Amino acid sequence: MNAWQAGIGTVLLLFGTANAHAKEPKPTGSPSAAGYAPIGRDEKGLWAEAEEEERELKTSKLVVRDAGANAYVRHVLCRITGEEACAKVRIYIVRAPIFNAGMFPNGMMRVYTGLLLRVRDEAELAAVLGHEFTHFERRHALSALKKERNARSWAAWLTVASGLTNRPHNYLPEFLAAFYSYSRDQEREADLGGLKLLHDAGYQTMAASSVWLRQRDEKDAQAAALGVKSLKDSDYGPFESHPMNVERMTYLAREAQAMGTDKSFDGLTDFRQAMAPIWPMLIEDQIRLNDFGASEYLLANLARGDWTGSLLYARAELYRARAKGGDLLTAETLYRQAIARGDAPAGAWRGLGLTLTRTGNQTEARSTLTEYLKRNPDAPDRAMLSAIAEGN
Amino acid sequence: MKLKLIIAAAALLASTPVFAKWSLVQDSTPVVVGGGKLKVIAARGWNRWSKQPTKQSELWSYDGPALNQIQFFDGLAEGQPMAKERNKKREPLPKFTQAMKGTDVAEAFEQTVRVTQGTPDFAIDRIEPARFAGAQGFRFLYHYTANELVRKGEARGAIVGGKLYMITYTAAALHYFDAHLAQAQAIMDSAKIG
Repeated sequence: MNAWQAGIGTVLLLFGTANAHAKEPKPTGSPSAAGYAPIGRDEKGLWAEAEEEERELKTSKLVVRDAGANAYVRHVLCRITGEEACAKVRIYIVRAPIFNAGMFPNGMMRVYTGLLLRVRDEAELAAVLGHEFTHFERRHALSALKKERNARSWAAWLTVASGLTNRPHNYLPEFLAAFYSYSRDQEREADLGGLKLLHDAGYQTMAASSVWLRQRDEKDAQAAALGVKSLKDSDYGPFESHPMNVERMTYLAREAQAMGTDKSFDGLTDFRQAMAPIWPMLIEDQIRLNDFGASEYLLANLARGDWTGSLLYARAELYRARAKGGDLLTAETLYRQAIARGDAPAGAWRGLGLTLTRTGNQTEARSTLTEYLKRNPDAPDRAMLSAIAEGN
Repeated sequence: MKLKLIIAAAALLASTPVFAKWSLVQDSTPVVVGGGKLKVIAARGWNRWSKQPTKQSELWSYDGPALNQIQFFDGLAEGQPMAKERNKKREPLPKFTQAMKGTDVAEAFEQTVRVTQGTPDFAIDRIEPARFAGAQGFRFLYHYTANELVRKGEARGAIVGGKLYMITYTAAALHYFDAHLAQAQAIMDSAKIG
């Protein structure tokens, strides 16, 4: 037997192994149907893993427990999927200032707070939830598991077989690239599936595309503040699980127009009302990331031209933290604007007082810090601010 | 060819801290931390890491850095960050400036931890004026959750000669923080500059 024959033998052996898996029952029916239980070893395994993760997540300190916000996100999901299907999904709002959401094969959905800070209205939120739900409904995790396992298995066997020839070659990169290409196809399918749900529920369909358009704008704003080139058009390469934002933005807009843009519900008022109780926390988590450009862009998006006391305060905090050039004077101005509006949080007096200690007006700094301590009697920084007010 | 390989291997060894190790700190006598001006008297059982987190800082631990750690900031100069920057251009960390007050230092520390530890759940629980290494400075208490583990911490520091000297003690809130708090505070009390 020469090396080439040995290679063939190995490949045949692989087919033998693949046949052993053929007895595995193929899951059928909708995983979101009432009473559905996972079918077959792979799906059962995936669900078991996800359930383990869900058990941990349930007690996490990072899960946002605000009842109103949770009920609202669930309500939006149910609106696009129908009551029966959404009953199979558990949503967890997870405190993390990143633009992301995730779906697990057992119906656990994670929605990160950074996403809630970035979507502008209910329609945009619904677009993301619809995307995630499509992953669940179409068992994307299961098919990805099989695809990746096959890719790695083929790559390993072919690599070993090639070692017996005079042209050894590592096949893993090629097979993994093919797997990631498949993963991007799943994302496209979820995007379009989500768009259909959005349309059928009467939402404004352009919302799905808008999310990606603004992601690109955010990248520009971030880069501009850092004085570096924006990465919005940098190709992600072959080992990326998601299509590029520019591609998603484009096909979602095309499809939305093709579906018809007659539906116009955006749910802006409901969205803002439901998010209001958790917004201060979401904003705080964003502006403490030392990411000036992206944070200022996001604040402007939240304001939509109407800068409330809280938003002016948050913007002032960004300038006070950066403290370069005219930043402290800008911060001072923004704090004053927030205070003048009458709806500023107590932190505005703190920020203004601390800024004034650095821009020179010690008398006003003292009275402003004193005012802050009066408005926030339990301030954790009382002793320090009193000392600073006294000029120490 | 062989020579090239040897040079490449030597360069690799020199650039990666393969010799990074933990070693017991001698207790009861003053030791210099961070390689500069800050000196403290260690308590028994603390270990120092030979790999410094930044040029101006040093890390100690008793049970392992995930459970408890003391970090020494030995004279951060204008424009220096409190942790190593993964990507200076695209993900810069807050920088120390001489004009900072204790509250600004605490805020910069908070932002640094939020970014480097990936935790949104960080809070300063108290901040007050305090003496540090013979100078007028500050003391603050904090807590945060990273990788589902809640940690508590205490920091003390002062700005002396335009540079920031600070010692932070961070440990798992469950058991470990209280277990070594007294030792950590004694180390902070023993701090001297120069």
